[in-house]
Amino acid sequence: MIEALSAMGSVFTDPYLLGLIFATTVLGVIIGVLPGLGATTGAALLLPFTLTMEPVQAIAVLSTIYVSATFAGSITAILINTPGTSAAAATTFDGYPLAQKGEAGRALGIAVVSSTVGGVFSVIVLCIAAPLLARVAYEFRPPEYFALTIFGLSMLASISAGGAVKNLIGGIFGVWLSTIGAERVTAIERFMFGNYDLYEGLSFVPVFIGLFAISELLVQSKMVNKIVETVALKAVKLPTKEDYKRIWKTILRSCGIGTFIGVLPAEGATVASMIGYSEAKRWSKNKEEFGKGSVEGIAGAEAANNAATGGAMVPTMVLGIPGSGTTAIILVGLMVHGLRPGAYLFTEQVEKVYQIFGSMLLANLMFMAMGLYAARLFARVSLVPISILWPIVFALSVIGAYALSQSLIDVWIALIFGVIGFFARRHGFAVAPIAVGLILGEMVETNLQHSLKMYDGQWWMIFAQPLAAFFLILAFLGLCGPYLYSLIIRHKD
Amino acid sequence: MIVGDSMQARSFPIFLMVINLMLVAILSLQFYKTYPKEVELEKFPTWSSMLLFLIFYIMVKVSGDMFVAIPVVMFLMGLTWGQKKVWISFVNAIVTPLSVFLLFDYVLQVRFPRGWLTNIYYG
Repeated sequence: MIEALSAMGSVFTDPYLLGLIFATTVLGVIIGVLPGLGATTGAALLLPFTLTMEPVQAIAVLSTIYVSATFAGSITAILINTPGTSAAAATTFDGYPLAQKGEAGRALGIAVVSSTVGGVFSVIVLCIAAPLLARVAYEFRPPEYFALTIFGLSMLASISAGGAVKNLIGGIFGVWLSTIGAERVTAIERFMFGNYDLYEGLSFVPVFIGLFAISELLVQSKMVNKIVETVALKAVKLPTKEDYKRIWKTILRSCGIGTFIGVLPAEGATVASMIGYSEAKRWSKNKEEFGKGSVEGIAGAEAANNAATGGAMVPTMVLGIPGSGTTAIILVGLMVHGLRPGAYLFTEQVEKVYQIFGSMLLANLMFMAMGLYAARLFARVSLVPISILWPIVFALSVIGAYALSQSLIDVWIALIFGVIGFFARRHGFAVAPIAVGLILGEMVETNLQHSLKMYDGQWWMIFAQPLAAFFLILAFLGLCGPYLYSLIIRHKD
Repeated sequence: MIVGDSMQARSFPIFLMVINLMLVAILSLQFYKTYPKEVELEKFPTWSSMLLFLIFYIMVKVSGDMFVAIPVVMFLMGLTWGQKKVWISFVNAIVTPLSVFLLFDYVLQVRFPRGWLTNIYYG
């Protein structure tokens, strides 16, 4: 414990890491306020830049981007009614109306404080829950891991963007993509079509750059003529005593909701903020104020979306199952830097793990300072013309895709997946399930194969393992629960 | 599908495709009940951007140099996305790739494929 705390504390005394986290927080806030970029795209674009860094520094950069961009989405949500990130969509419901009443500073102050409390709370939960979960994960064998990945895939059905079936199709498509290349055990070639550049399978980095950055570029190209109306901001105001009295319960509730939602595999800040907002409304004594500039609405959404960031890191680091789209990229970052996610990470490299947690804590405190003192400046960044911004994203995407393996095939893969991602989004499919499926794909297949070998091909024996059966039942309920529930209600009526 | 004590390597992706076909069938059933909203047609910049990706591919294949193709595509992308001041697009198309190239070359020590321009730099 002392070792862990001193590792966390070392982040605060390491000048290089401090400088790096400060610079990344500034970058994260800029990424967050630029509509369309967001934490996931930002992390995908920055991943190649972390290649030569030490593992802790690299993951600190990615997690800082995650934390600060998630917060910064609220700045544009409040000032220009355009959420910088999807996680800030719920903040527009009350943030912008309050800003229109001439209280933009108050709205931003509440968003900053709520986000910081949510983020710090979730890091504390991460520090406590992750090692505990790691102890449980020691007991996991292939059947349990297989069932867990199936549970993770089933959770895709409830991601907010896209419909349940569409998200599942995306997830399964992602798993299918993971089968491209030579199979690990038998070296049988699958879907390579004679192209030996694909022998090792699809690299995660170019696929993610394509799905998140290039597809977003194509989506943004439809916004060329969008006119943005900005609300004037004089200064960010800290919440008053009256405000605190009204929002403290909401913040605490949203902290719990956000962290819990974040821990669930494949769920993320967007779902958390929506639930945080709706729960804030449900429990509020001033329901009529919601949608017209309620401070509880802002606090509920903002505390929840930042609380989800720490929560989402729990399954990512302990089980190797991404808690959200951005943590899928952080997971790839962990793998690229030789940090194998899982229970052993918490025994063999515990110092590094806590340094990563420490850097997340520091990032939360840094964005608070930036939010309070520089929000006005950052809000101006959002007005950069998209005809300048997105060509830069194009350059960063193709160079970044090339950098990891220094292979042109990765550039073509990024472009192809950019177009695939764009058409998927155009038809209402979210791209995050494809990314999560791609990451989980190898785990699903390998653990299924190992399980079958363990039980001499008797697949039903997987159901005889209590923990595996528990996860499979959860997966079944996650998939069929809502339909069964509606059937029961209809039958009763 | 399950042969001996394990699953055949070729069976797993086929199994996935079957599941996805079933899901597509469910989706079409949903669409049959409630037809989805008509998808908005993209405007010029979207299609031109995809065309620029193709131009990028051809240029890299011809010149072998990403750093010839990137500025050209960035410049054209800026213009097709509505940038009226040509010089801004031009400066953006030169400065951005150059700075990223230098960053990758000096700091990250990534070497890019040799081509018309990079040959001059690498010697």
